Amino acid sequence: MQGFDVTAILLNSQLAGMLADGFLVTLIIATGSWLLAMSLGILLLMIRLMPSRIANHAVRAYVSYHSNVPTLVQLILWYFGISSLLPSTLQEWLSEHHAEATFAIIGLGLCQAAYFSEDLRSGLRSIAAGQEEAARALGHGYVGTMRYVMLPQAFRNALPALVNHTVSLFKNSTLAMAIGVAELTHAVKEVENQSFRTFETFLIATLVYLACSLLLMGIGAWLGHRARPVGAR
Amino acid sequence: MVDDSGSEQPNMIEFIHVNKRYGDFNALVDINAHVRKGEVVVVCGPSGSGKSTLIRTVNRLEEIQSGTLMFDGQNVHAKMTSKTLNRLRSRIGFVFQSFNLFPHMSALDNVMLSPVRLRGLSVAEAHDKAMLLLDRVGLTSKAKSYPAQLSGGQQQRVAIARALAMEPPAMLFDEPTSALDPEMVGEVLAVMRSLASEGMTMMCVTHEMAFAREVADRVWFMDAGSILSTADPRSFFSNPEHPRAKRFLADLRAR
Amino acid sequence: MLVQIYDIVRDDWLLLLIGQYPNGPLGGIAATLLLSVLGISLAFPLSVLVALARISPWLILRAPATALVYTMRGVPLLMIIFWGYFLVPLLIGKVVPGFVTMVCALVVYEAAFLSEIVRAGIQALPAGQADAARALGHSHLGAMRYVILPQALYNMMPSILSQFVSTIKETTLGYVINVPELTFAANQINNRLLTKPFEVFFLLAVIYFVVCWSLTQLANWLERSIAAKRAGKGRTSEAVSNGTPLVAEP
Repeated sequence: MQGFDVTAILLNSQLAGMLADGFLVTLIIATGSWLLAMSLGILLLMIRLMPSRIANHAVRAYVSYHSNVPTLVQLILWYFGISSLLPSTLQEWLSEHHAEATFAIIGLGLCQAAYFSEDLRSGLRSIAAGQEEAARALGHGYVGTMRYVMLPQAFRNALPALVNHTVSLFKNSTLAMAIGVAELTHAVKEVENQSFRTFETFLIATLVYLACSLLLMGIGAWLGHRARPVGAR
Repeated sequence: MVDDSGSEQPNMIEFIHVNKRYGDFNALVDINAHVRKGEVVVVCGPSGSGKSTLIRTVNRLEEIQSGTLMFDGQNVHAKMTSKTLNRLRSRIGFVFQSFNLFPHMSALDNVMLSPVRLRGLSVAEAHDKAMLLLDRVGLTSKAKSYPAQLSGGQQQRVAIARALAMEPPAMLFDEPTSALDPEMVGEVLAVMRSLASEGMTMMCVTHEMAFAREVADRVWFMDAGSILSTADPRSFFSNPEHPRAKRFLADLRAR
Repeated sequence: MLVQIYDIVRDDWLLLLIGQYPNGPLGGIAATLLLSVLGISLAFPLSVLVALARISPWLILRAPATALVYTMRGVPLLMIIFWGYFLVPLLIGKVVPGFVTMVCALVVYEAAFLSEIVRAGIQALPAGQADAARALGHSHLGAMRYVILPQALYNMMPSILSQFVSTIKETTLGYVINVPELTFAANQINNRLLTKPFEVFFLLAVIYFVVCWSLTQLANWLERSIAAKRAGKGRTSEAVSNGTPLVAEP
């Protein structure tokens, strides 16, 4: 058994390169799906707030599906299932243009959008009663009230939940491995197979994940601190 | 304050056979009354009498089922686009019992927001006007403070400045001091008193009877959804006509 | 499409239900539920210990507990499973089936998240409870055992049930290390049929949805009834609800 030697991985340009590439793919997947999830989440919230009962039920069904079906199953359904329903020309185009990563971003983004919209909805509901009325009494319309008074407060209230779900999103990027995306955990398996240095490889990847998650939580805490009015009584 | 002997000023607020129901409960019953330009009207009565409901119908925070409500010549409850309603509301100053300042903005931003976004004032103009208003309510030093850093009385004064920023022809006050600790009631009433002396048309729901006696031109006494008397303060407090008004004043004095 | 889904169910319901048992290890829904139940029930006592350690006044207990919780919160479960795959045979000394690895990984992972729920439950109790227990003479651990934990755990039941639902969803990761649970079984069916991937995986999604949704509804119902009980207790005293008079009639 070789002795513990992290440098065997880190200084080996090929192996380190594989890990770095994997990490880059993880970042791409995580960022892409986060952007999709946040924009879709806000859209879902706006739809949910519409007075139509159909709109209400549609969003509730969306959230219910995405929170009760495991994320991995959602990704598998997208990549193996839904892709088979697409017209063959589109399927061919996709398989030449990073189909795996695309479906991973779509699947993860759509899933997290459900959570983000619920977080924002809770954030909206926890705004003090009378805020909306005060804005309306001043003469602001629906859009103005949302834009200047309600949504800023909803985001502030929802911040802890949004940060938690962002960390979840980041961790869920590993699931893309199951549909063939060469992200960090996938790279770890490859490097481990080649180098037989299981412990060192695992440790490096674990520390990378941990560092990123803690960074995200730290950013969240800093944002929360900034958003809170100074010297609240 | 209105000059009694002078010519009649036009009606700023007018209730004509206004009725409002919540399901089976009659909240407002055949309200007929008016507030003239420059008048200060205090609305009082036991709890549940419909005072808050009444004042909230003026800027249509509550709907009415029948009757007409006129504000400065405009029918408040007519069918209208939301744009028209918003513009109407921006002309009616409303001060809430729970202040409802926007917690994510400083006092100055609270006052500046609506003139900039609704009236199209430039930020510089709005800033100067807002500072003038904050000075008027005695809070220039707190312009950059956030609501969480202000006492209840200070918050309510900022709320008054915020309503005044839209230069409304009339101000409505819904129990402005009821949520305040006793020692802060005076500072808010002082602002309201100075507004009245400058000729602002005001309608106030309040329990502050000393304020009513000094500042009001008329006192509307309400009970069970109806206005039972609209006398001037002197007559109302010394010799109320209606037996329920007598009982209400007796209960108040007994406290 | 519905007809095809019905065909799949009709032909392979046994595989989906219990995998290839008895011709192989237990699989399918049975394996999924077994993994989840084992995971959560073994994690639970561990999570109580971790929660107590996190709120204890001694750094030597607090530090490792906090480190564990933050690590599990920050590292993907798949990575934890890989660690388990590597470490468990080392620690036990012989090769273990993927099922055991999966259980170990789930237990450690869930213990961290459950401990946060337990900790929240303990800290949500009014401070007066601990004070009253200590005033009566109970030790710190005694107060925990007889007064704090029973109440906290009762209040936290809906959250614990929610975490159980999360555990069920997490068992799907077993698919990546060839643990024969439900997702693995569905994949086997798909590899055999090859022409109906959408129907197979849609069915898979539906099965998970039904299981998780029902449990979530149960958790919501529990939360409502606990809240109602809590509100109710404030209005009537114990003696009255037991039927015994508080004060003797004159």
